Amino acid sequence: MQEVLRLQNLQKSFGSVRALKNASLTLREGEVVALLGDNGAGKSTLIKAISGVFPIDRGDIYVRGEKVSIRTTREAMDLGIETIHQDTSLAPDLSIARNLFLGREPVNLKWLGVFAPLDLAKLRDAASALLKRVGISKKLDADALVSTLSGGERQSIAISRAMQFAAKVIILDEPTNNLGVEETHGVLRFVKEMRAAGHSVLLITHNIHHVFEVADRIIVMRRGEIVAEQTVADTDLLSVESLITGADLSALMKRAQ
Amino acid sequence: MRSPQFSSFVILIVLLVVFAVADGNFLSPLNISNMMAFLPELGIIALGMTLLLTAGEFDLSVGAVFGLAPVVVMLLVQNAGVDIGVALLAGLLLCIAIGAINGVIVTKIGISSFLVTLSMLLIVRGAALYITQGFPLKSWDQPGFFVTLLAGSFNVGAFRFYTSLWWFIGLSLFAVYVLRYAKLGNWISAIGSNRNAAVARGVPADAVKVWLFILTSVLAGLAGMISAFRISAASPVAGTGYELEVIAMVVVGGTALTGGRGTILGTIVGALMLRAIRNGIVLVGVPGLAYNIFVGVIILAMLILHALLQKSAARSW
Repeated sequence: MQEVLRLQNLQKSFGSVRALKNASLTLREGEVVALLGDNGAGKSTLIKAISGVFPIDRGDIYVRGEKVSIRTTREAMDLGIETIHQDTSLAPDLSIARNLFLGREPVNLKWLGVFAPLDLAKLRDAASALLKRVGISKKLDADALVSTLSGGERQSIAISRAMQFAAKVIILDEPTNNLGVEETHGVLRFVKEMRAAGHSVLLITHNIHHVFEVADRIIVMRRGEIVAEQTVADTDLLSVESLITGADLSALMKRAQ
Repeated sequence: MRSPQFSSFVILIVLLVVFAVADGNFLSPLNISNMMAFLPELGIIALGMTLLLTAGEFDLSVGAVFGLAPVVVMLLVQNAGVDIGVALLAGLLLCIAIGAINGVIVTKIGISSFLVTLSMLLIVRGAALYITQGFPLKSWDQPGFFVTLLAGSFNVGAFRFYTSLWWFIGLSLFAVYVLRYAKLGNWISAIGSNRNAAVARGVPADAVKVWLFILTSVLAGLAGMISAFRISAASPVAGTGYELEVIAMVVVGGTALTGGRGTILGTIVGALMLRAIRNGIVLVGVPGLAYNIFVGVIILAMLILHALLQKSAARSW
């Protein structure tokens, strides 16, 4: 499989805190990689660096083999990297259609710049088509305000937005947080669909069960470093938990027996 | 039907009917002309404030800017012999600078707009008082292009209107267009609704906010000049308390103080309502000093109504 995203020796400090020390990883086409780690392990710093929330101090980022620099969220999006943050991806007071195209609004009279009128017909049609394609058009109207949607519906909207813009890399930050069982399954199904459609997914989650359900590979971070990288087929729940906490749980279990 | 601007509109109609019944002169051409002369001056500021509030910020310095801008213009003309056109341009630049300073401090240093613009209110009002030594100035009253542009008047039948009404109508149409139909309006609402989401989509949230601070400041200065030209006097204390009256107009119209939901039509209704209350209460014989009690009660009632409507709307989902 072709390499889509490669991070080499990324470093980031906040004052005297070294949040990221020499983090390197590779993401290939059409694979789901789970990024695991305890609170403060550096997962958030890593994905924020990739999505352009803040620049890295040192290290290189390659997209499809080409070295790039990502300093703003816009630059990340233009490189095909879409990030879906927990709870912060949508504007609740805007309609679904307006959220789907936020920052990339279809307009008439483009020369008017920010004063250009929105192409409302196109906005609506494209939004409806998208909702239909991802299979949620029956329940949702493109003009409905996002504030009227459930958490799972919001995640579906955010994910479908990322898919719509044909993002090469989709980063999901705790996508199943605060979701019910049904909604969680919906989101995980989405992740599988994304992979099937050729997108690469970097999944950040606390729920290891979900990882085993959808991920191809697992990357574990601890104290700003990547400490392990394994394919899901070659590992099990217990050893992954050991890697996250840094304690050898399976040895402990054996001793207990 | 449950939209806040609609309920505000209904209340406005009720108020108008009550005042009209209570006093036959309320709807007389003279009184309507009177209301329409005052309306644009606060209304123009309210338009800028609506956009700013929708983006999640507000500006308490507008009343002070309303006072300072014409004072500076008149001082330049009368004491420094500057041409009126150049002086007006200088006043405009001053407003741009005040708005830009507000915006940059709020967005780049991250201090809340309440604190920043409260400080700016004191600085700007203090500056107006100091440079005039507290005395009002005689305003520019020689007929000419600028007087006609800002404070010309015309008759429609028995009604007498000022050109400021055209300014208000024109700026209102522009604001409605921007907020509802332009790409910028989508950004403004998104920034106020969830700034992080907007930034994550590549919306330049800080730049938009700085421009809205500038716009609000410029509109406050424009309104101040319109007022000064109309009454032929520029007072350093003009516009005192306008910031709160303007914010009241905006929230009574249904714009959310917390950002994300803004309505220009609601603001126009809110501006008409506060103007009608101020005028009607005097006509029906409420003592002028009791005016604020009524305004406060009506604003509070409107806000309670909006909150209840929103609650029932949330339940029906």
